[in-house]
Amino acid sequence: MAQKAVLDAANLAAWLGKIRGRSSVMAPVKRGRASFAFSWIDDAAEVRLDYVRTVLSPKQAFLPSREPLMTVQRNSLQVSSAVAGDPFVLFGIHPCDLMAVNQLDWSMLKRNNVEDPYYRARRQAAAIVAVDCMPDKYCFCTSVGSCSTREGADIFMTPVPAGYLVEALTDRGSALLKSAKTRGPSKDDEAAAQAFPERKRRRTILKIDAHAAELPDLFDLAYSSEAWENTAKRCYGCGTCTNVCPTCFCFDVRELADLTLETASRWRQYDSCQFADFALVAGGHNFRGDRPDRVRHRWFRKFVYLNREHGQPFCVGCGRCSQQCTAGISLVDVINSVIAEAKEKVA
Amino acid sequence: MTASLVRSYPKRGGDLLYAPQPAHIIRTKQLTALERMLEIRFADGQDLGHRPGQFVQVSVFGYGEAPISICSSPARKGSFEMTVRNMGGLTAALHRAKEGDTIGIRGPFGTGFPMGCMQKMDCLMVAGGIGMAPLRSVIDTVLADRDRYGRLIVLYGSRAPGDILFTDEIEGWKADERNQIMVAVDREAPGWSGHVGVVTTLFPQVKVKPDGVAASLCGPPVMYRFVLAELHAMRVPENQIFLSLERRMKCGMGKCGHCQIDGRCVCIDGPVFTAEETRSIHESI
Repeated sequence: MAQKAVLDAANLAAWLGKIRGRSSVMAPVKRGRASFAFSWIDDAAEVRLDYVRTVLSPKQAFLPSREPLMTVQRNSLQVSSAVAGDPFVLFGIHPCDLMAVNQLDWSMLKRNNVEDPYYRARRQAAAIVAVDCMPDKYCFCTSVGSCSTREGADIFMTPVPAGYLVEALTDRGSALLKSAKTRGPSKDDEAAAQAFPERKRRRTILKIDAHAAELPDLFDLAYSSEAWENTAKRCYGCGTCTNVCPTCFCFDVRELADLTLETASRWRQYDSCQFADFALVAGGHNFRGDRPDRVRHRWFRKFVYLNREHGQPFCVGCGRCSQQCTAGISLVDVINSVIAEAKEKVA
Repeated sequence: MTASLVRSYPKRGGDLLYAPQPAHIIRTKQLTALERMLEIRFADGQDLGHRPGQFVQVSVFGYGEAPISICSSPARKGSFEMTVRNMGGLTAALHRAKEGDTIGIRGPFGTGFPMGCMQKMDCLMVAGGIGMAPLRSVIDTVLADRDRYGRLIVLYGSRAPGDILFTDEIEGWKADERNQIMVAVDREAPGWSGHVGVVTTLFPQVKVKPDGVAASLCGPPVMYRFVLAELHAMRVPENQIFLSLERRMKCGMGKCGHCQIDGRCVCIDGPVFTAEETRSIHESI
């Protein structure tokens, strides 16, 4: 069992300041009137742990929306790889986003036995401090098993009235925690921390109407469901859902030649299966040319294909896609309509 | 017979996973108005070490990377060939490229056609358009070790006589009486005295024992459904039918997500699948 200590709220900023003094820190900050964003911070006082969700997920720490892969010399095609990983601390991510990092670890480092060097460099350079949270109406972490994720965190913080009950889960976490001014937990602190997960579960209202492990078989029954057509009628194909998703990892690769034409740089950037050209090949054939097929592909990839392959859906219940959807489509509503249809079929 | 489709993993890992290896264009040959064959040799002289039906990611400076099938047999040492249709920026650049120019290669990638399953069998090739390119790799592999295989039957459908690839080689294939080579064009054309009709109209001329034939298919998406119906009517077992699926691919290593269909990544689980497999893979055919 990890050593437990209490970090009083008043000491948080000082600790963050010390961490920031030694390495880069990505943490949630307020943006505009009501939004939050993970950002590289300069001032520890900017950091806000009272957020429910950020617009973009912390996956950007490991998979930036656009990153250089290499530069290429014109004549020799000599390649300089851009793999880089300076140590940093990813501070204040929620259990759902932590589970998403674990999912990305699998997809980028283990899946198909290929280890992505760019992801690996950033991931190995990161220490992760996770903090538990209370849900809002978009959260459904209890349905996908991400509400109490601790795996992957170096430090786990549970909010208590006085501040946070902090636990170092790794050696890296213990080292990081040394610079914090903490005290031993009181009985009240312990009790509050212990009660937290159950309170969180009770307050998570939104639910998927089936166990995550049942979803592949249920979805298979609804492969030809009208739900895809109906959802596609509302969907703009803007790709917001996949951009904000903490587990989506599809990327496009582009090459840009410099004005001198002596060097070119190859980049990768987020791509979206919701874009019309995602499955387009040379000669103009589009293997997923109809929007309902693209909509179905997103749900199937998350809840069927990768769920079967990895044993967990590629969704952590963070609610970002539903909250940000430009057409107001709720991921969970679509899932539940599909489940209802499938259950009717087998009934 | 069980099909053994073998996955292929990147030869170079680590920081160089996405880095192309320099290679030179050592010979070019214009095959048709749209298609050009390029012979490629790695700068360090190594063999590609591919299986027929595999593909490489080809880098052209300033344009990026595109997946292109290998059209030569692994029996050829020191170099390999690919046939490029002029369709976009990168392929147009490959059409402009000169002998001696440097390009980049990653790969080979994918499963490829299982040559082991074809031994002692009659080898039926069904090609549509540029689908002939990867099948030429299979055909040349059969021809390089002719006695290991049964009859070689090639059904090749082309849009017009001017689109037919490897015309001079096709004449050579016909020389061996164990080979039955049939070429069809879609419509009547001046100077064309051969078969007219889509590739499936050649099937009545195919006489094989269903248990003794291995069929390899490569062509446009629309071709597969019709060819599979013909093979089904001939009672060829589905695990003796191998077909190559085209998909958009960026990485070739099961990462970028573009070629995901059902539970598979076409780049690494394919591009060659058995017909038995594709029957249970949504969106495959």
